[in-house]
Amino acid sequence: MAEGKNLYETVIVTSAKLGEEGSAALVERFKALIAEHGTVQSVDDWGKRRFAYPIEKQTEGYYTLINFESGPEFTAELDRRYHITDGIMRTLIVKRDPRHLAKPQQRAQKSEEAGIDVEAIAVEAVEESAE
Amino acid sequence: MPERPEREIRRGRKGRRKVCTFCVDRAEFIDYKDVAKLRRFISERGKILPRRVTGTCARHQRELTVAIKRARHLALLPYTSD
Repeated sequence: MAEGKNLYETVIVTSAKLGEEGSAALVERFKALIAEHGTVQSVDDWGKRRFAYPIEKQTEGYYTLINFESGPEFTAELDRRYHITDGIMRTLIVKRDPRHLAKPQQRAQKSEEAGIDVEAIAVEAVEESAE
Repeated sequence: MPERPEREIRRGRKGRRKVCTFCVDRAEFIDYKDVAKLRRFISERGKILPRRVTGTCARHQRELTVAIKRARHLALLPYTSD
């Protein structure tokens, strides 16, 4: 059987109410679940982050990114489990394109140096339309 | 990119050609996790800036909107703010 395995990444946002240990335990459970149906490749803990807008009247949560490999049928199950689990505020499951896999690490510093001066361009655009 | 004569509409204006940042960077894909970068493409109110303002090419604008929407879902970026 030619098994169709795909690469995915998933972000779990857990409630800050759970505390550090509580959310770590929750993430552990999902790691175990993923490991049952595929392989966990890497886990990136972003720690506690402030939300851009309040969710369920809360202002922060713990973010964890998990890269994994599994068959395509597992994502639906994972999503279902996310939804029925208390303490999870937001989740995202995205398929990773194997062509883009080269170096996911270097993103941060690269974006800094090639800064685009949006404001100057915006001013220019306004002038132009005023013409 | 080779020099191309400015189009007629641009007459009387110092031609400053807007170039797509993602093309300049040779970005392979636009990451919804890169909040610092995405922030430059939303307005103060949280709206996604149009291509005509940022100079992003059509292809990257499409990718960018998806990335911003993903980031919004995860509360990394605001849907709105005043």
